This record gives sequence, C-alpha cells and structure tokens, in this order.
Amino acid sequence: MADVTIAASFELKPGRYPDKSGHDLLRDIIKGALQAWPVGPKDIDGLLVTPSGQAGGAGIDAYIHDKIISEMGIRPTFAETLNAGGATFPMMVHRAAMAIADGRANAVLCISAGKFLKISAGGGEAAKMISEPDLEAPYGTFIPGLYALIASEFMHKRGITKRDLARVAVAERQWALRNPDARMHGAGAIAIEDVLASRPIAWPFNFLDCSIPSEGGGAVLVTRGDLGRKWARQPAYVLGYGEAHPRGTISSPGSLIETGAVQSGAEAFRRAGLSPSDIDVAQLYDAFTSTPLLLLENLKFVDEGGSGEFVQGGGMDPGGTMPVNTYGGLISYGHTGDASGMSVLIEGVRQVMGEAGERQVARADRGLVHCYGGMMFDHVTLILGRES
Amino acid sequence: MSGKLVPEINDVTREYWEGTALGELRLRTCLSCDAKFRFNHGWCPQCGSAELGMEATSGKGTVTNYTVIHVPPYEAYAAEVPYALVLVELDEGVRMMANIVDCDPASVGIGMRVEVTFEERGPVMLPQFRPSN
Repeated sequence: MADVTIAASFELKPGRYPDKSGHDLLRDIIKGALQAWPVGPKDIDGLLVTPSGQAGGAGIDAYIHDKIISEMGIRPTFAETLNAGGATFPMMVHRAAMAIADGRANAVLCISAGKFLKISAGGGEAAKMISEPDLEAPYGTFIPGLYALIASEFMHKRGITKRDLARVAVAERQWALRNPDARMHGAGAIAIEDVLASRPIAWPFNFLDCSIPSEGGGAVLVTRGDLGRKWARQPAYVLGYGEAHPRGTISSPGSLIETGAVQSGAEAFRRAGLSPSDIDVAQLYDAFTSTPLLLLENLKFVDEGGSGEFVQGGGMDPGGTMPVNTYGGLISYGHTGDASGMSVLIEGVRQVMGEAGERQVARADRGLVHCYGGMMFDHVTLILGRES
Repeated sequence: MSGKLVPEINDVTREYWEGTALGELRLRTCLSCDAKFRFNHGWCPQCGSAELGMEATSGKGTVTNYTVIHVPPYEAYAAEVPYALVLVELDEGVRMMANIVDCDPASVGIGMRVEVTFEERGPVMLPQFRPSN
C-alpha cells in the first residue's frame, strides 16, 4: 500500500456526559487533539466525521462535516460525513489513505463522537434502525437478542460454550484493570462464575457479557508517510486493509457465522503480504462476548471451533500468546455508541505507536484492528505496523 | 397488544398480508429465474426481474438461530418476556424471523421443527411459529 501513516490519536475518557450533545463532544475532541498534537488547523486538509446524534436519539446530523469545517477554520480538499456503524473507523483510515494516495489530501482528521441511551431504552430503538420494518421489527428485536441469534449458531456449530463467552469478559476485565480510562478500571477482577451469575439479558448473554453503554469519542490523524515521520516518534504505518458487506439484515440468506470478516481478513492479509501468525496484538470489536471469538475464527487466528480453547487458555489475556482488546474492550472499557469503533481503532494505533502505558504489550510490531457495523453486516480489517 | 410494532400494508406488501389473513404464509417467487424470497422487494434479488409471483408455503420449517429475550425492547413487550426470538428456515428454503409461541421459551433450540400460526396484530395477521411434531 501507499506510504501512509497514522500520526496521532486522541480520545475522551468514556463516561456519561448528560449536558453535552454529540456536537459538543466533537468540539471537546477537536480542542483536546489540537492541544495534544503537533499540528494546527492549517496542517489539516482532509476531514472525515461520523454523523452525530445517531444512537442518542436526538436526530442525525449528516452535515456535521460542514459545521466542523466552519468551526475549525479549515479549508479541506477532501471532506465528508460517512457511516457504516462500528465499521466506520478503519474504513475512515482507508478512505483517507486513498485520498492521500490520490493527492487529494496530506493530513486527514478522522473524528467521531457518540451518545448512548440507557440499554433498556436504546436496545429497542437502535434495533429498529437496523431491522426490516415489516418482517423483523414487529417480533420484538433487541440489539442483544440479534447478536444472540448469531451466537446461538456459533455455539451450536462450533461447540463454543457459555463459559467460553464468559471467559472473554474475564480477559477484558484484566485489561481494563491496566487502563485508567476504562469504565471498569476500578471495579476489580471478575471470574467466569460472576458472568454466569449476572442477570440474563438475551440467552446466551448475561449482563456481564454485554458492552457498557457510554458516551465519548476520539480522533486520529491519517497522514502522508513523511508527515507521519515528522510528527510522530513512532507512527503507525497502514500495511493492509480489507472490506466486505455480504448481508444487510439478520434474516438475509446464508450462514450468520461465515461473516464478512472471512473475506475482509483474507484481503487485508494479502494486501499486507502477511498472515495471522505475523500479528502481535489484535483489537476485535466486541459488542458482546461472542464476537471476539467468532472473529478469531473468521480471521483465521485459530481453527474453526478453536476460539474456546484459545480464550480458556489465556491466549487473549495480558501475557497471552496474542493479546486481544488490550484496552478492556467495549465490554470493560465502554461502548461509546456511534463512536465505539473509534476506541477499537485508537487502541490498535496506540499499541503500535508504543503509547499504551501500563498495558503496552511487549511486542507490537504489527497490530490488527477488526470492526464491523450493523449486526456484523459491514466488515473492515486494518493491519498496522511499526515499519512500512 | 397495543404499542407493539405493526407492519405496514402497502402496494408491495399487500398480497403477503392478504395471504396471512387467509391463514396462508406466502413467498415471493421470480417468474424469470424461479428464485424464492421474502415479500418486501419489487424485484428479484437473484436476477433483478420485476416479473414476480407469489405462492403459498407449507408453513413448516426448522429453527436455525434462537435467543430468549429477558429485557423488553419496548414497554409494549414487557408482558411478553421472556420470549423466544428465532430465525426459521422454511422447508421451501427461505429464512424468516419470528417468535416461537405456545411453548416454554426455554425449550426452544436449534433444529426444532415448527409450524406457522398467526397472531392478530393491529390490521394484520402476523406469522408466528409453534412447535410441530
């Protein structure tokens, strides 16, 4: 791929910001990034932003890029508001890299903020947005329940158990204890039994199998390679990318567990000239505990059915053979609604840039980030490295 | 059942809801390539043809994916929890979403044989499924 880097990242601490709109949070991110990064508005000539207000129920602003252009005082030659749900963020890196390779821009600000309704109020409304209005929504669709439909097939065909799912939450909590920004940083370690004893939400998911509704957001700066080397001690090089959109609703034809990650992962590895064994650390979007396991299998890090043994053996834990979701995951760090995938991307960037503090893995020469949108409909795989 | 989501009857969906009112679960068929699919398209998702027919199904199928919902997505569903939300593969080869009714939701599982039944929901008869022998 072209000589493109991620030169900087910035993220708000996930939490509850009841007095701030999605747009307010974007302003906080811009202010914070401009103070933290060695660049000013005049250096930024590209802008990608997610529509604010999606999961917050306040209406969707599809013209938010124009407001940011005006408020930042930038005059980009490449700018748009785009959305593919949780998949948007590695996708932004790819769209920015294409614009840079095409000479359209040199430094692209990719930014997102998210609000999140309470789970009891938001699960239904959010499910309605991504359900077929006549043939799915009347049956009482609910976000955890839709993921549970996927998980049931995964468990049935691959022999994965509720204890395997629970072990994902145990691992992610271990990581959150090492991340002062994680919602569950001070909450202490948990055991499989704690997850199994938490209240049922939608079989096979109990409360501790679910991500934590939060608010926040962040930004990354995607740049021409020479600018990345100037602005960062260790930029994250964009080595490979893959993307696939094989279904658009949960009751579309085909297996729910042969997700688009099979295709996007194979493409990303091919473009990077790498294989799964070359990856040191992975960030795998985890709205619920089943999804990192399914993605480990779909991305070929383990054989089909092998993800349970991998997680039970501590493979994704601190010190594991391939650390996964090293910031605590959406399950213990927090799921910032529309901006959730930004957290996943930023942790991938921080590990490769060597900026992950206490949770920095010993070896992070190459990191993989996989995010999906909808109910695992849109899939994007991004491979980052310390050398081009 | 007030407050639950109600499907819309329009030019695309009318024949489907006319069928369910008669106790019949129907599928769209493509008159050009013989594909079968759910009703809410104006064209064939296989070949793009707009020459479409409709045929009755056996109303029988198999559960391929399931969950039991314990937290109601809307207040209107509060009296229903816990309820089974499933995907059913009809014997005609088309998948659809439904609830499994007339049984303990904890007894629902992958591979369960089911048959269609209908729930009055506002202006339509909504297809649901129950265990079959």
